[in-house]
Amino acid sequence: MKLRPPRLPERPPPGPTRPGFWRSPLRGPWLTSLFGSALLPLVLVCAVTGFLSQASYNPGLGNSLLPGGGLGFDFYFFSWPTRPSYLYAVTQGLHVTSGLIAIPLLLAKLWSVMPKLFEWPPVRSLSHLLERLSLALLVGGALFVFFTGLLNIQLYYPWPFTFLPAHYYGSFVFLAAFALHVGLKLPTVLRAFRERGVVGPLRADPRHRAREPYREGTTTPLGPDAPTMSRRTLIATVGAASLGAGFMGAAQAIGGPLRSFGLLAPHGTQLSDGPNGFQINKTAKAVGIEPAQVGRSWRLRLAGRGGIELTRDQLLAMPQRTCDLPIACVEGWSTTQSWTGVRLRDLAAAVGVEAPDRVVVESLQRAGSLREVTLSAGQVADERSLLALRVNGADLSLDHGYPARVIVPAAPGVHCTKWVSSMRFEAA
Amino acid sequence: MAERLRARYGASPLHALAVIASFAIAGYGFLRFAQGASPLGTFAWFAAAIVAHDLLAFPLYSALDLLARGALAGRDGLAEDTRRVPAINHLRVPAILSGMALLMFFPLILGLDSARYTADTGLGVDGYLGRWLGICGALFLGSGAIYALRLRRAGRAARGAERAES
Repeated sequence: MKLRPPRLPERPPPGPTRPGFWRSPLRGPWLTSLFGSALLPLVLVCAVTGFLSQASYNPGLGNSLLPGGGLGFDFYFFSWPTRPSYLYAVTQGLHVTSGLIAIPLLLAKLWSVMPKLFEWPPVRSLSHLLERLSLALLVGGALFVFFTGLLNIQLYYPWPFTFLPAHYYGSFVFLAAFALHVGLKLPTVLRAFRERGVVGPLRADPRHRAREPYREGTTTPLGPDAPTMSRRTLIATVGAASLGAGFMGAAQAIGGPLRSFGLLAPHGTQLSDGPNGFQINKTAKAVGIEPAQVGRSWRLRLAGRGGIELTRDQLLAMPQRTCDLPIACVEGWSTTQSWTGVRLRDLAAAVGVEAPDRVVVESLQRAGSLREVTLSAGQVADERSLLALRVNGADLSLDHGYPARVIVPAAPGVHCTKWVSSMRFEAA
Repeated sequence: MAERLRARYGASPLHALAVIASFAIAGYGFLRFAQGASPLGTFAWFAAAIVAHDLLAFPLYSALDLLARGALAGRDGLAEDTRRVPAINHLRVPAILSGMALLMFFPLILGLDSARYTADTGLGVDGYLGRWLGICGALFLGSGAIYALRLRRAGRAARGAERAES
């Protein structure tokens, strides 16, 4: 079969396909290489922490939120640890913060390569066609993955699909195209840095106004305008936007006094100064908890070798333990509080299971895919894993899970089930 | 053989292998999309992201920049020291930074679906618009103050040069 090239005029039609159309003297392989090199580690951190977040759900125990349990080749072969207790706060804080930092850099990088979208002829060969198709996956994938994540942390869902699988599998498309792009463009980056130095153009030229020399087939302009902005100003502006965005992520991930400086951070404010004034992922009202469900008639049903039911007073009469543990959300915010309650392993022992293989925790909440969660053997065995009844010396508020909630070190916040109704301990 | 492939394909066999591997993994991602809720909606948003950036946002911000440059170019009627210090970046930098803040946090700033945010978190969105306006104000004010300082310095330098000549 012979591939017949489409017949197109040799001379590009007027408009953005003509090399003279693009006039910014700042564009060139060096500038694009600099933005690209800044993005590479951010994308790597964001991707690794994203896959770690899926691993933290212990998908092997049936906790995956992906359709079909996320089997296929997205399986995880290690049990999520409980040490250090701030592990998930760090990985997920990094995930959201690195994503926020990357967005201004991504847009700047797209600006710097925009002439390539209109290159002429549009297709030179089969390899060129495939490369351009892959670039569509790269640009579409990057915008899709970063902006769905960005809107998710603000709880804004204007789309018809489910966020988590779309974000997760969108990242497969993005990362596949990204890896190819890095591989194919590495020689271009190395050449630009070799010829001009990594920061050479910022140092050698005190007014930062010498343009990159014109070379056909690159983004350097054929007929540039006189410069109106120095390279240093452009890079400083993009850097400031990235650092500002990243600061919003860091403020809500680190919390404490820093939180209130995250002026646009989705979880940048406290609810109140009281012991229960810290951040909430889902209020009782949002998941349909009725006050009648958590009144005097509430019982915790425990199942193991036998079954028992405990009132809240009976739970309070058991040995209590207090631990400072962070609660860290998949949306990148965390907050460390002082929790008091009964150790999970003591509850297991109360129903005759000494070293449980897992525990299935069920919540009173009616809605939500996480109303039932399975914790691993390691998570139950950790002596800081509690069924918390009190926080910061006060009873839990209804929004924080009254009458009782789970708190497990290093577990994602959605696994620290609130309004617990039953726990089923399974022996090894 | 490799030479013939290179001539027909336009790149080395290694290129072809890398492209095929990349498309296979991307294809897996798309396949999983298609098994989720609303595969068509997912594809549509994917494509819309490209169109929104390349064919809407980029032309729009480029046109705004051209407009601003055009408006600032015809400044012949102004005092000489005002013409000597270019104003464009004192406009561009705060505009880029506050625009980026709006682009990234528009759901909270504009209070889109604030009912859901408030129901879930117990927090209000009322403060975000005000804080964003505050950020805009601080950026433009700071940029203006630096511009004023540069004008003063340019004026002084010009007068110094005149004195040295006379």
